Amino acid sequence: MEKSFFKKLIQQRMLVLMSVPFVIWLFIFKYLPLWGWTIAFQKYKPALSFSQQKWVGFEHFKFLFTDERFLRVLRNTLAMSGINLVLGFVTAITLALLLNEIRLVAFKRLVQTVSYLPHFISWVVAAGIIQTTLANDGIINEILVATGIIHKGQEILFLGIPHYFWSIFGASSVWKEVGWNTIVYLAAMTAIDPSQYEAADMDGAGRFRKMWNVTLPGIKPVIVVLLIMNIGNLMESGFEPQYLLGNGMNVDFSENIDIFVLKYGIEQSNYSLSIAAGMFKTVVSLILLTAANTIAKKTGEARLY
Amino acid sequence: MAKKLMVASMALAVALTASACGNSNNGGDEASTNGNTSSNTTNNAASTDNTTANNTAATNESAPKDKVTFSLFNGVANAPDGNTNETTIGKALEDQTGVNFKIEHLVGDLKTKIGTMIASNKYPDVIDPDAGIDQLLDAGAFIDLTPYIDKYPNIKKVYGPYLSRMKAADGKIYYLPFSTQVGAYTADPNINQGAFWVQRRVLKEAGYPKIKTMDEYFKLIEDYVNKHKDENLIGYASLTNDWRFFATSNQPMHLAGYPNDGNVEIDMNTHEAKTYYTNDDTKRWLQALNTLNSKGLFDKASFVDNYDQYIAKLSSKKVVGFFDYGWQIANANNVLKDAAKKDPAQDDFVYQPMPITFDGQPDQLLDPPGFVNNRGIGITVSAKDPERIMQYWDTLLSEDNQILRSWGIKGETYEVDDKGRFYRTAEEIAKIDEPFNLKFGFKYYAWDWPQYGTNSTLSDGNALAPGLQPEVFQLSLTDKDKEILGKYGVQTYAAQFATPQDRPWYPAWGIPKEQGSPQQIWETQKDEVTKKYYPKLVLAKPADFDKVWQEYLGAFGKLDTAGYEKWYTEQIKTILDQVSK
Amino acid sequence: MKHASFGDKVFEVCNYTFLALLMVVTLYPFLNTLAYSLNAGLDSLKGGIHLWPREFSIQNYKFVFREATILHATMISVFRTVIGTAVTVFCSAMVAYTISRQEYVLRKFITIAFILTMYFYGGLIPVFLLMRDLHLVGSFWVYIFPGVIGVFNLIVIRSFIEGLPESIMESGRIDGAGDFRTFWNIVLPLCLPVLATVALFTAVYQWNSWFDVFLYNSSDINLSTLQYELMKILQNSNASSATMESGFSNSGAAASMVTPLSIRATMTIVASVPMIIVYPFLQKYFVKGMTVGGVKG
Repeated sequence: MEKSFFKKLIQQRMLVLMSVPFVIWLFIFKYLPLWGWTIAFQKYKPALSFSQQKWVGFEHFKFLFTDERFLRVLRNTLAMSGINLVLGFVTAITLALLLNEIRLVAFKRLVQTVSYLPHFISWVVAAGIIQTTLANDGIINEILVATGIIHKGQEILFLGIPHYFWSIFGASSVWKEVGWNTIVYLAAMTAIDPSQYEAADMDGAGRFRKMWNVTLPGIKPVIVVLLIMNIGNLMESGFEPQYLLGNGMNVDFSENIDIFVLKYGIEQSNYSLSIAAGMFKTVVSLILLTAANTIAKKTGEARLY
Repeated sequence: MAKKLMVASMALAVALTASACGNSNNGGDEASTNGNTSSNTTNNAASTDNTTANNTAATNESAPKDKVTFSLFNGVANAPDGNTNETTIGKALEDQTGVNFKIEHLVGDLKTKIGTMIASNKYPDVIDPDAGIDQLLDAGAFIDLTPYIDKYPNIKKVYGPYLSRMKAADGKIYYLPFSTQVGAYTADPNINQGAFWVQRRVLKEAGYPKIKTMDEYFKLIEDYVNKHKDENLIGYASLTNDWRFFATSNQPMHLAGYPNDGNVEIDMNTHEAKTYYTNDDTKRWLQALNTLNSKGLFDKASFVDNYDQYIAKLSSKKVVGFFDYGWQIANANNVLKDAAKKDPAQDDFVYQPMPITFDGQPDQLLDPPGFVNNRGIGITVSAKDPERIMQYWDTLLSEDNQILRSWGIKGETYEVDDKGRFYRTAEEIAKIDEPFNLKFGFKYYAWDWPQYGTNSTLSDGNALAPGLQPEVFQLSLTDKDKEILGKYGVQTYAAQFATPQDRPWYPAWGIPKEQGSPQQIWETQKDEVTKKYYPKLVLAKPADFDKVWQEYLGAFGKLDTAGYEKWYTEQIKTILDQVSK
Repeated sequence: MKHASFGDKVFEVCNYTFLALLMVVTLYPFLNTLAYSLNAGLDSLKGGIHLWPREFSIQNYKFVFREATILHATMISVFRTVIGTAVTVFCSAMVAYTISRQEYVLRKFITIAFILTMYFYGGLIPVFLLMRDLHLVGSFWVYIFPGVIGVFNLIVIRSFIEGLPESIMESGRIDGAGDFRTFWNIVLPLCLPVLATVALFTAVYQWNSWFDVFLYNSSDINLSTLQYELMKILQNSNASSATMESGFSNSGAAASMVTPLSIRATMTIVASVPMIIVYPFLQKYFVKGMTVGGVKG
């Protein structure tokens, strides 16, 4: 076994040469800084050397897990990234499919380019636009009044209603990123063998059958792989939109782990707490990742590793 | 809190820059200061000197020191990066001292930036860390200035009265603060601090009543809105966005007749610090807003609007009244004043500041002379030649140079009348715009350096800050401004307000707190609870108010408020001891 | 389409309508931002600007471009974008190829080693110290080296390669080409659509980056980038709008003031226009008609 491994390795020396230098790079740039995790167990002061730091064991973890708000911010984090995951995937894939059905190439390109624009607008600017749109005198309320759904003077304070927040967040994220997220699926679609469409045509398959039986299966490996990666990322629900759109009225639904860490870690110069929170996120992420990958493997789908 | 402070200091800086101006007799300054800066090694001054040729002859005569450039990091981004000697003021100072500073301003997150400096143990020569000061002190990044201060007469003169307060717990002095008072206290004629504002048309229609109490103020608003139902007015709006929430939560303190000491009211007799978030004053205030809301006079969107939306509302002329600090609404005020300047009829929509308290007791809305002790500029352990830096600061602190950095150059940026009073002509005022402020250096020297505090008075009785000089202020008023001031029998906006009492600890929010200390955590938690419950309290049905108030008390009760108050009381006591020494 | 049924027609109409609506919704923020950038700063404060400037002015652009440093910074941005993208795309594709080879003995190890790094981070200070020890602080290469391989890119390219018909790979194999030549001559050309995608992602990332400038090179103006300079300008506009509050607010100077609101809009436009111009050039690789798309055997 050992022998054959080395033998193979020598045989595959070209592949080794093409990849191992980057593994070394990976080790230096990504794994080496992991010594920083020790900070989570210290009362870290950047001015002191490693040996001078004061060790506090699990104190920072205890602070996190025993705080009564922690469950709430964890729930909000998972809920919002879950919404983002599902909505993001469904809308991006749908848009890619719809674009794929457009035969006017100029129109297709135009739609693609325009839908990609909001990606370049920072969240600060985007949040401003969202807040203006949702304001008492914003366009949404104006439409509701004009259509008689609500009466003048009863305008809805959208950002002041806690349980609206997740929907507003989800819709905003889709609006901002859907065009951008579509790109990778469009690229994947180019790899579908055209003869498959021809074969489907022969069978008399209609538009939807082709979408369902040819296009979707064609990009499925990419979808599955991205899905697994993103499930691993469920602990990251973003920070800026929640911070910018959040306020005292919707805080119970808008505050996520990152904002919590900002308030009690970063703003208090408590690096240790930030690192501890990061470690917690890593652990959860890896569990989710492994689970997702295993399920994919079991169901015979493409897998991440 | 830190941000509050930052902003307040920026506001002050603004007062200076805004007024930004200069002085002319710097030929004289140079001659006098060049005396004490002789000596030193290889003289490359000759080669570097002739670059900016518009300077006085003094430089060539007395052998100047070799030129040296120090790096300076500024934690507040208030100007583009650059070298001080590229400005008129900085060049004059370089001619006097041979020192130039290469300034880098913060971009991005301050604590992160300072964290990396500390971790790598490599600092710029000089740092003005703003809110990052506790991090640097904790890391031992600043050198002790005590041994230097005695050697420099101007530094000694300006900081002498404050030395005992500037000492850290270990008895050393690590930085020089910015708000030292020199000479008599010159009050700001404008309202840059807190006030209850109301549209002038409201006062006009009501016959310029002298209102004093909260009830009178709200009644005034209510009557006006009811009389003008068709105009869709917003009776009262309040700013709550992000860190600016204090513009809503500070009022009970002010209404009870206290100045802005942050989270505490300090008793003038017992000097005990008490928070006010759960006391009857806050309850009374929130209940008043609740009543206002039930009458449809309160803008519900106050609790969700961001700062831009708030400013847009104020500029829209729809909001009748609000409380805020002048420096926060400067932009909106300027929009309205600009309009009024072009068309006097628009003067109706300009906001007039009013001193309002709960029951008409004397207000304390104007800032008392204060000493902000948790901001300053220090020399780091990386600096090679602290003496040269101290020399520069000492030179900068001469009165002539303070005039230069504030008023500018006589005949160019200010004039002196036959009574020796400084003033500016209309052309000079027009000339001093943003690009001029940068090029001349007013902007760079308005704040962030060892300096006379903004409210200082020069030895000849002129105000240090042009914006605070009564002659300059009068020149800025429109006829309508003068008319309304006349109705209230005053010359300046500030004169409507009560004279601030002497409070040596002011501002109490400027007392340094350690990073991650229980006090800082308390403040974060307090923000959380109040931001969550104030909207509920104000927007509740009036009948439910008491119930929600009880809930709020329950939530607030989990905080260690007693510990916070105890800490503050001790700090106040320490300051009073130091002052009485 | 030979026989467009009724259902097909309905679909077509709905599809075009829907996509047109989508364009309206996604174009609005950009036009709105453009309108704010072309509106007088002080007037913008009043809000209520939608598609057109109310008080037309180019003072915001003047303010942004008043510093000479911005040209040099733009050059650095272009350099880091071009070099960074080329390096990342090439290296990611190469490693992706190796881990797409099912027979490669290190395949699983390398794949997992890379994937794991997506989910952890040693923290800012350890990374900063590493860069310092590698002498990358104060160097242009700090923009390039840490991003040699993007894991997301790696996985996307790998999936694409795995989706290529095996017969094509085999043909290279039979030719007796070595792995590198297979990669270079056969795989790379076939991967153009995904490489264009990855190049776009990387280019946008490189172009928009400012945090590494902030951390490592903030004191060296020669290494500053466009985004970083724009951040500076934004902060200055904060300060300069604050200076209005003196007794001189009614002087001529006040009227020409810029505000953070308008500068933020302006910098959005300035920073995004190059990326929008680049887009169509990359777009042609991944937006194809479905009948012309695909791999031509």
